[in-house]
Amino acid sequence: MGPLLPNDIIPFEWSSIIAIVIGIFFGFILESSGFSSSRKLAGVFYGYDFAVLKVFFTAALVSLIGLLYMDYLGYVDMSSLYVHPTYLWAAIIGGAIMGIGFVAGGFCPGTSLCAVAIGKIDAIVYVIGIMVGVFIFSELYSVFEPIYTGYFYGNITLVDSLGINPYWFVFLFTIAAVIIFVLVDMIRKRVKKVFY
Amino acid sequence: MINRKLVKFLSFRYVILALLFIILAGGLVLLPKFEKQEGIKPEQLLSNIISPERYITTDELADRIINQDPSLLLIDLRDEETFKKYSLPNAINMPLKNLFDEDSSAFLNQDAYDVVFFSNDNFDADQAWILCNRLDYKNLYVLKGGINRWFKTIINPPHPKENMPLEAFKLYATRKAASMYFGVAYPDQVKTNVPKRPRPTPKKVITVKKKKKAPEGGC
Amino acid sequence: MKIKKQNKHLYWNPYYGGFLLGILIIFTFYITGRGLGASGAMKSSVVAIVNSAAPEHAESSAYYSKFLDDTKSPMNNWLVFETLGVLIGALISGGISGRIGWRTQHSPKITRRRRLIFAFSGGILFGLGAQIARGCTSGAALSGMAVLSSGGFITMLAIFGTAYLFAYFFRKNWI
Repeated sequence: MGPLLPNDIIPFEWSSIIAIVIGIFFGFILESSGFSSSRKLAGVFYGYDFAVLKVFFTAALVSLIGLLYMDYLGYVDMSSLYVHPTYLWAAIIGGAIMGIGFVAGGFCPGTSLCAVAIGKIDAIVYVIGIMVGVFIFSELYSVFEPIYTGYFYGNITLVDSLGINPYWFVFLFTIAAVIIFVLVDMIRKRVKKVFY
Repeated sequence: MINRKLVKFLSFRYVILALLFIILAGGLVLLPKFEKQEGIKPEQLLSNIISPERYITTDELADRIINQDPSLLLIDLRDEETFKKYSLPNAINMPLKNLFDEDSSAFLNQDAYDVVFFSNDNFDADQAWILCNRLDYKNLYVLKGGINRWFKTIINPPHPKENMPLEAFKLYATRKAASMYFGVAYPDQVKTNVPKRPRPTPKKVITVKKKKKAPEGGC
Repeated sequence: MKIKKQNKHLYWNPYYGGFLLGILIIFTFYITGRGLGASGAMKSSVVAIVNSAAPEHAESSAYYSKFLDDTKSPMNNWLVFETLGVLIGALISGGISGRIGWRTQHSPKITRRRRLIFAFSGGILFGLGAQIARGCTSGAALSGMAVLSSGGFITMLAIFGTAYLFAYFFRKNWI
């Protein structure tokens, strides 16, 4: 069974078309959830709008629970899915730089693309900025290479690195997420509303 | 008019959704766990085991070796010491306990060669065959009788008795010829040049790529 | 009335959006065996631009050459097609709700110029970080979390952790 493309259940030639279709849905969902607005996105850091956090965690939970059920029922083989590799310090340093970029620019790449599509000029500038960032990284690759390729732990999951049962982890994660949602709503009520 | 009951119900909608999530996630914890069936189905495995096609006789094997069949891949499952003492020409040593080492799967999980397992007798080879067949590896065979029968039939063929049919004599002649190919000298043949035990160039085993394409990365 | 004025910003309920996004991630993993991504397409564009502007330089560079293939253009990539889809999808959604239009969104307290400068520098930082961490919020964090990847969780924590830490310094831009 699944994943369908790597197992040749769907011919390889379809992959580009599927990519476009998936992209359309991705863009539609992001835009409709309000991710094309940088001030809505930045709201998560100042407490006036927690849409990012809610969408992000709901999506992560739904996909986690759904994939685990599909794995359990045999529709998809979790072990053959692509697991993002873990380069410890690259993830931390890269994530930290991205965090500053996020709060300074107010977008992340996916959402900036949505904003570009509806004509936000700041998003267009942001995308050009990302390209310049990629260019800088590529030109200074030799400087970043030790971090980029070092501290490699393989394509590991939390099951490997924490030795935790995935089902229990998801259960606790769900409870934590629900608590976060409640807390976040309480915070939002106290923070002054910002209209954008 | 707005349905009051509906309004009351909807005011709890986030609580209900949250509970639904927790129940679904809790369901994962509570679901009975079972070992996943890896490889082919048991029924398929059973019918494969019963099928006599998985055996290759010593005569067939000798024939294929002499004809230098390029698609033959011999795998000796005995330990290293006995392998060094004697083995079939061009065989690869792969003790049974090392069968699933990482570098051995390249030899086993492919469809370019006919893999023939052998050991002193059938047993180890049968085990290896079943283990590999369960993983859905293709083109696997077991040398019937193993090295022991190889000695009895090919290297040291029994002389047929006078009252035996003609076929037995013919078989003896071929086996004798084969054994000469494998380097056995007979008194009546001493004068002729005993052909040296041929050592064909070692086979290059192509590592067949895994059939599953590993999905590539994201960003 | 305020509500009339805010109508343009009426977005989906975030839980609804998140639910659909989760379903989409499951679907993506089920079909392709990998997650969503966004910054990969920008990387491909940069590689393509550099390759056409200075082929020798791209060939000799240790980083560009990883993504260069003689048989196909760097733009012939799953993520580039997905990104095209994102643009189309966002355009459809924005078109339906009437959000399309050239404008720069910024807090009334700052100038348009300041907003653009910050957007540009934020973009540079994000581009740099996304290359170091091998993925952005969608590719590394969201898709990584869906398969419980340790790297994905670390990246997610790092992004949001630093963003909260530094939010104070950028507060004028937003509130």
